[in-house]
Amino acid sequence: MDRRKFLKASGILLSGTACAPGLPLLTGCSSTRADRERTLSKYKWGMVINLEKCRPDCDACMVACRKENNVAFHGDKRWDVHWIRKVNVREKDSPDTAGKPVPLLCNHCEDPPCAQVCPVQATYKRDDGIVIVDHHRCIGCRYCVIACPYNARYFNYKENPDWPNKEYPKRSHGVAESCNFCAHLLDQGKKPACVEACDKINAKALCHGDLNDPDSEVSKLISSNPVKRLREDLGTEPKVYYIGL
Amino acid sequence: MEVKFARIEGRSTPFYLAMILLAVLGLAGVFSTYLMHEHGIYLSGLTNRVPWGLQIAMAIFYIGLSAGSLVVSGLYGIFGKMEYKPFARIAAYLAMLFLIAGLLSILTDQGRIDRVFVEPFTYFNVQSMFSINPSLYSGHILICVIYLWALFKEKGRLTKIVSLTVCLWAIGTHTGTGAIFAFVPRELYNSPLLPPSFVAAALSSGAALMILVIVALSRATRRPLDNELIIWLGRRLLVVFLLCALYVMLIENAHRVYLVESREAGLFFLFGGFHSVLFWGGLIILGSIVPAILLFIRRTGTSIPWIVFASSLVVFGVLCERFLIVVPGLIHPPNLFPGMEVTGTVLEEGIAQYSISLLELLQALGVAGIIGFAFLLGLKVLPLAPTEARSSV
Amino acid sequence: MSIKGVWATHRNAIIVTVSTLVILFPIVYSAASSILIQTPTPFLELPDEKYQECVKDKEYMRFHHMDLLKEIREEFVRYGNRGDVSLGSCRGCHTSRQRFCDRCHNSVSLSLDCFGCHYYPEPDTAS
Repeated sequence: MDRRKFLKASGILLSGTACAPGLPLLTGCSSTRADRERTLSKYKWGMVINLEKCRPDCDACMVACRKENNVAFHGDKRWDVHWIRKVNVREKDSPDTAGKPVPLLCNHCEDPPCAQVCPVQATYKRDDGIVIVDHHRCIGCRYCVIACPYNARYFNYKENPDWPNKEYPKRSHGVAESCNFCAHLLDQGKKPACVEACDKINAKALCHGDLNDPDSEVSKLISSNPVKRLREDLGTEPKVYYIGL
Repeated sequence: MEVKFARIEGRSTPFYLAMILLAVLGLAGVFSTYLMHEHGIYLSGLTNRVPWGLQIAMAIFYIGLSAGSLVVSGLYGIFGKMEYKPFARIAAYLAMLFLIAGLLSILTDQGRIDRVFVEPFTYFNVQSMFSINPSLYSGHILICVIYLWALFKEKGRLTKIVSLTVCLWAIGTHTGTGAIFAFVPRELYNSPLLPPSFVAAALSSGAALMILVIVALSRATRRPLDNELIIWLGRRLLVVFLLCALYVMLIENAHRVYLVESREAGLFFLFGGFHSVLFWGGLIILGSIVPAILLFIRRTGTSIPWIVFASSLVVFGVLCERFLIVVPGLIHPPNLFPGMEVTGTVLEEGIAQYSISLLELLQALGVAGIIGFAFLLGLKVLPLAPTEARSSV
Repeated sequence: MSIKGVWATHRNAIIVTVSTLVILFPIVYSAASSILIQTPTPFLELPDEKYQECVKDKEYMRFHHMDLLKEIREEFVRYGNRGDVSLGSCRGCHTSRQRFCDRCHNSVSLSLDCFGCHYYPEPDTAS
């Protein structure tokens, strides 16, 4: 008897009600888990970032992300959390060139080192390829922050004072977190907040979609442009592609 | 040979003063841990770029110390060297305490201490070194307890078996601890030589600390101690471990600097900032070369004060080494854009800064205080210390 | 026999007894107080008229709401399986957290970890 069954059985016994063993699934979910898994594994979410379209002094994606996901911002480089952040990259030894802006976010690796090292399986890869954190489990050991070769994971050193999006939970201090492609929005059939924001200002540098679908916008962009991923030598197989890196 | 063990008297003023001091330190550590648990880890010096710091360095330092103590204990337990029987009990007890200290250091460093006792056991992840290691540590502590019991009850055969088990287990524990860092894709962490280097440094620091403890104990309790034992520990055991650790470290760094892909990181480690001072000054010169020379020269290598001095240098050197395992690998930035330079950013880019905060230091001292308190208490209530220690039968 | 004599002969027994008592004190205290002192069952504010029935019967919810919540949580967070029930949907009937969750949890001194991250507004303060 596994734990779930045990809980169920003890629940029935202890409550002393005549509820029949034919109780439906406790949660009353309309679809079973197996169904849902099949729907999830249909997708393979990925992102294409066109650096030629990314505007240098724009932080629309960062602001939108903070607002949507209640990402902690204290105004201190040491403890700020950035699910998406922008850096300026230029050729070495050429201080006069302006360089180009590069948005950096969790790469949602096919083989994520952060999920591999998590001692409580709080960080894991969902069936649709999103690397996501179960904050209810995280013990705050920060091993995933160490293991991520992209510096894309963050730790909540301080309690987040703001709570802009009340519909979405925030995180307590003491847990790690990173971008999750706005999984809650994807489940509703919407686009991630950063992509939405980028489209809104008409820059359209970010493009999010299903990599499994050959007709999706991302797949077309990948096949028609020379794309690069960050640190491909590590073999982590990131799902964030860059055009013009 | 009959070796007698006895509790120490433990009624003198210095003894009580030491107990009180250690207890106060322990309480200070508990208090600072409470503060961090309530308000967040930002109270320590840790930042986005340097998420592990002093506490993890101390944890692996303590865990390392326990190995050396076990080896000294194993000299009697496995090899039946009767002249080391006087130290077997105290070494086993210390090994257990150091392991607990290591676990306490890791525990106090967690963001959600309230979950540490449940989640890791419920959702065990076999792939994570952080999941495997605590099992190794708790096993280690358990075997140490059995070993200690066997030593107290003078069970000859059982002692031998348990002693062998615990020594092998210790090697596993330390390899595992080294693997926490070695199996992570960061330039200065990722190295298959890190676990062996970790074991070697662990053995040398542990043996050095045992020398310090034994000499200090015999002086404080005025119980006779044969110089030959200390000289053997210093000149035969410590120096071998020391040179092994130095050798592995040499290969590791040479390999890193030789390969083009990791050269920049390797040079950063060797000549890149304050940690390089710790490396060359603390670890290489003070922590390895000076004590090795001191132990090699016959005149200094056979005088107890010099051996004690050399041992304290070794312990200091290994403390530096532990810090050097954890911190430089983090402050060195991951090379996301080869051949490019990152400017203008919202996160600290390039070489990160790490400074230890007061509360973090208090945590580390607190763990030391708790362990010291337990050690003194153990001496007082358990027959750990020998009444005399001689090499001749 | 003088006190000193008792101490000398039964030193270990006294130490063991006293320390056991100290360690067990919280358990003994709470057990004793629950038997001896009749604390009134906290009054939980029941939902208003629009409430028909809860997702499970009352007895089940009283003792196992945490199992249910945990199961919903696991289903949703780990398998992306958003069911009809969620912490947010409790809010539909049980409008006040203070007068529903907190009252009972405070009286059994169990601190709740949910609302640091999940929003559950008070009806008066919500705007």
